[in-house]
Amino acid sequence: MDMEQSTRHPLMIEARDISKHFDTEAGRVELFSRLNLEVARGESLAIVGRSGAGKSTLLSLLAGLDTPSDGSVRIDGQLIETLDDRQRAQLRASTISFIFQSFHLLPELTALDNVRLPLEIRGAADPAHDARHWLREVGLGERTDHYPAQLSGGEQQRVAIARAFATRPSLLFADEPTGNLDEDTGAKIIEHLFRLNEQQGTTLILITHDAELAARCQRRLRLHNGALEELVT
Amino acid sequence: MSLLPRLALQQLRTQLRTTEWRALLLASWLAIALTTLLTLLGDRLERGLLRESANILGADLVLSSSRPLTPERLEQIHATGVDQTRVVQFPSMVSNPAAQDRPPMLVSVRAATAPYPLRGEIITEPPQPGHLPTPGHVWVEARVLDQLGLALGDTLQLGYSRFTVSAELISSPDRGTGFRSFSPHILIDRADLDATGVLAPGSRASFRVLMRGDKEAITALEAMLRPRLADHERLLALRTDQPLTGDALGNALAYLKLAALVALLLSALTILLSLRRFSLKQYSRSALLLNLGLSPNQLVRVYLYQLLAAWLLVAVLGTLSGVLVESAVQGWLTNLLPQRLPAPTPWLYFSGAALGLAMLILLGLPPVLSLARIPVAHLLRGDAPPQDRRARSLQVACLALLSITLLLFLQTPWAALVLLALLLVGGVAFGYIAQSLLQWLSRPLASRLLLGRLLQLRLRQQRKWHRLQSAVIVLLLTLLAVVWVSRADLLAQWRAKFPVDTPNYFVINIQPWQKEGLDRFMAEHRIDSDLYPMIRGRLNQLNGAPIRPQLTDEQLQDNTLRRELNLSWMREQPAHNDLLRGQWWDATPERPQISVEQDMMEDLGLKLGDRLGFDIGGQQVEAEITSERQVEWTSFRPNFYVIFSPGALESYPTTWITSFRLDGERKQLATQMLEAFPSLTLIDIDQLLAQLSVWLKRLGDSSAMLLALTLACGLILMAVTLLQALEQRRFESALMQTLGASSEQTRQLDLLEFLLLGLTCGLLAGVAAEATLAGLQLALLDVEPRLHPWLWLILPLLSSAFFVGIGFLIRRPLRLDQCYRLLRAGT
Ligand SMILES: Nc1ncnc2c1ncn2[C@@H]1O[C@H](COP(=O)(O)OP(=O)(O)O)[C@@H](O)[C@H]1O
Ligand SMILES: [Mg+2]
Repeated sequence: MDMEQSTRHPLMIEARDISKHFDTEAGRVELFSRLNLEVARGESLAIVGRSGAGKSTLLSLLAGLDTPSDGSVRIDGQLIETLDDRQRAQLRASTISFIFQSFHLLPELTALDNVRLPLEIRGAADPAHDARHWLREVGLGERTDHYPAQLSGGEQQRVAIARAFATRPSLLFADEPTGNLDEDTGAKIIEHLFRLNEQQGTTLILITHDAELAARCQRRLRLHNGALEELVT
Repeated sequence: MSLLPRLALQQLRTQLRTTEWRALLLASWLAIALTTLLTLLGDRLERGLLRESANILGADLVLSSSRPLTPERLEQIHATGVDQTRVVQFPSMVSNPAAQDRPPMLVSVRAATAPYPLRGEIITEPPQPGHLPTPGHVWVEARVLDQLGLALGDTLQLGYSRFTVSAELISSPDRGTGFRSFSPHILIDRADLDATGVLAPGSRASFRVLMRGDKEAITALEAMLRPRLADHERLLALRTDQPLTGDALGNALAYLKLAALVALLLSALTILLSLRRFSLKQYSRSALLLNLGLSPNQLVRVYLYQLLAAWLLVAVLGTLSGVLVESAVQGWLTNLLPQRLPAPTPWLYFSGAALGLAMLILLGLPPVLSLARIPVAHLLRGDAPPQDRRARSLQVACLALLSITLLLFLQTPWAALVLLALLLVGGVAFGYIAQSLLQWLSRPLASRLLLGRLLQLRLRQQRKWHRLQSAVIVLLLTLLAVVWVSRADLLAQWRAKFPVDTPNYFVINIQPWQKEGLDRFMAEHRIDSDLYPMIRGRLNQLNGAPIRPQLTDEQLQDNTLRRELNLSWMREQPAHNDLLRGQWWDATPERPQISVEQDMMEDLGLKLGDRLGFDIGGQQVEAEITSERQVEWTSFRPNFYVIFSPGALESYPTTWITSFRLDGERKQLATQMLEAFPSLTLIDIDQLLAQLSVWLKRLGDSSAMLLALTLACGLILMAVTLLQALEQRRFESALMQTLGASSEQTRQLDLLEFLLLGLTCGLLAGVAAEATLAGLQLALLDVEPRLHPWLWLILPLLSSAFFVGIGFLIRRPLRLDQCYRLLRAGT
């Protein structure tokens, strides 16, 4: 079924006229309105913009974690608003992965178990074996039994990358993946990220402040004053 | 107000809304109330009853003897010129001749000579002019009035005599030592005693001389008497000896304090965890304050002020509630206690507050000091500062100090230390066992259920909390089950242990001239009983030489050497004693033979063929051990360490003793027996046990109250640990949902985890409770351990319900759109 859909839908993401506003005590906060965005399968896309512009909010809409105040989002051809909670979980499980700025490894689990977690959620056949493979891929084959506290920030983010790729997602979201890291470490992370991305043919949507990181992507968009503008180099 | 205290107060005010501060305040409140209660009550009981004040002794010095005092002894005391007076105290049955349907009652009779007492005073209602009842009158305690249906002015029968009840005895010194001090008392004039006929030569009684004088005279008298005390004599002086009432109460108090230790530890743990959670949340704030220019010293002051303000609040509340509960407890103890209790030592009112302060400061100092060392870079990076070694050792030092403080407060350092160690070891053991059990239980689930494999990861991830939670819950449930079961069970089981025909009446002090008539009475009413002769003698020789030099120090401590033995002689072997070795004599052997009890043989290293020598009223009797007997001491039948063959002891002054059982209607016979033989000393065992069980019940009630407090402390602690884990759980749940799990799945996972945790803890508590109960049954009551199947059902159910209940009460479902907000940049 995935195969059929992917042949029918060359677009991985299709956002039509989406708006997002929050009602707060101080009144309505309009983050953005009537945004349109299409991301092709296998494409890499960077979203830049100043802090508070609404990048993370936009990302959660594109990932189907949140619903827009207005407009519609299709992921892999499926209209998010028509899916119930179970179906959305199913879509995330089969298609999507995340990498976060603060890594978000579970501190009480070893590196191996952290990578296993999404595989277990999907009921994979041999989670431990796969997890080990992906840790080797990010150069942490020797550190499988270490706990997050015993790893450096860069190493923790590599575990997070292994965790993200372990489920072989067709769509990967990264929210400022180098934001908590120094320059050199960040550069290494970027290498791992793009190498695996190319190798797996994943569609990558990433948010960053980092010009270098943004430059590695095929497309760059800027979220500014509630509007998306394509940056051309 | 200057800036720092104001900042501290403002912080406290906002933080009062957080769960960790509420838990902290509640836990300290309970700890302070409990401490205040126990120290105040302990102090009053101790000063009122334990430390032998002159008011308790009724004199400055008391010589107490189990035999009538010899004229020489009295002369010795008389010669020193101190004031003195004499008292006889003994157990007896009394009855109400106007109410034949009421069974006679067991009391402790005191017959005193004026002036009495020499120190303190007897308080009666209505107040009486003299110090003693006038001849023909008696003063009795309230329990006697109640049980016999007597009013003032009515008649009371004691032996052959009738007395007019002229006053109610409210409190009086000189209640005597041992179990007799628990029995209801009556007081008569010594001049009336002989006519009652209840005290004959050889009767069991406590004969006392009370003495009063200036300090030097009393010290000199004590120095003179002490080295010359006979086996049957004891000297009671201020502060030297403790009457047994004191011992029993002292033990009860120590027991209650130990029980309180559990509650205090739980409170301390709650405070520790609350403060840790609090300080974790304060990292950014203190980094900010430091960044803004506050010095680390000032920062520490701000947090200490905050702790002090919190302490002030709970100290007032805790002390107040402690004092309230104390006065309630003291209220239901008063009619059991022989004395009005003195007011507590004033400074002890502050003991609870002081302990609370120690707890808060000692537990609070390490996290507060670590807050002051936050690197400002924390603000940028947002991670927790690394724990350095100095912080570790400070924490250890503070915990050690707190342990010492607790042990000092409990005043029974060794027992408390053992209990503390036991709790810690037990807690750690239960924690680890529960955790392995959880993992083991989840294994079969993992191979069948997708959720089962996630559960395994969850169990691994929550293992620290699971260990703590299960240790606390298992200990609490065990405590609950043991107290619950033992309150109802143990006493009943102990009683059930005696066969139905176990005697419930003893008759002692039967005089030779009464024996024939009593035999006839027993035969006539078909009462199944044997009369045994009883002669008192002291063991002093082994194989022809003095025995003491032949024994080890430990053997010299043996009961059979420290006091006079009750010796008997009989033709036939008693049916309730089994012969273990040797042979019973037939007829009257040529030379005296004896049969010795098993433990005495073993303890003194005796063997068949040894010859033992006894001093009986100044004459020496020797006999050869020809058999060894097993004696069931709890059989409530007359039992003897040493039984002689016939022919050896008949010429010595003898009283007789017997026991028998009467049930239902036939209990009337006891009344008839006393009417026919008014001077008999009849002891109703049922009444004795009933008097004992009142005390047991009070003790049970007190421990139930402590248990309730302990449970409250445990519940608060549980809530704190679950809340702490909750924070982490929210993150985990958010993460799992972004990784592809549905919210339904995370809910099921929580449910499964709590259910499994509850079942495991309940099961472990069941095992621990059964083991503890079995230990109690074997060690205390010497009965076969019995299993309690319903515990195995109830405990797992209870603890699963608890975990699932609390877990779901504090679990807030996480909407999908909240998940990402929780995880995205910044946190
Ligand atoms: N649930 C919400 N309610 C109110 N305001 C919100 C909510 N979620 C986000 N915002 C606001 O939306 C703005 C954009 O947030 P975010 O998407 O995190 O921006 P960015 O990732 O570009 O820094 C912020 O000002 C934030 O406070
Ligand atoms: Mg953001």
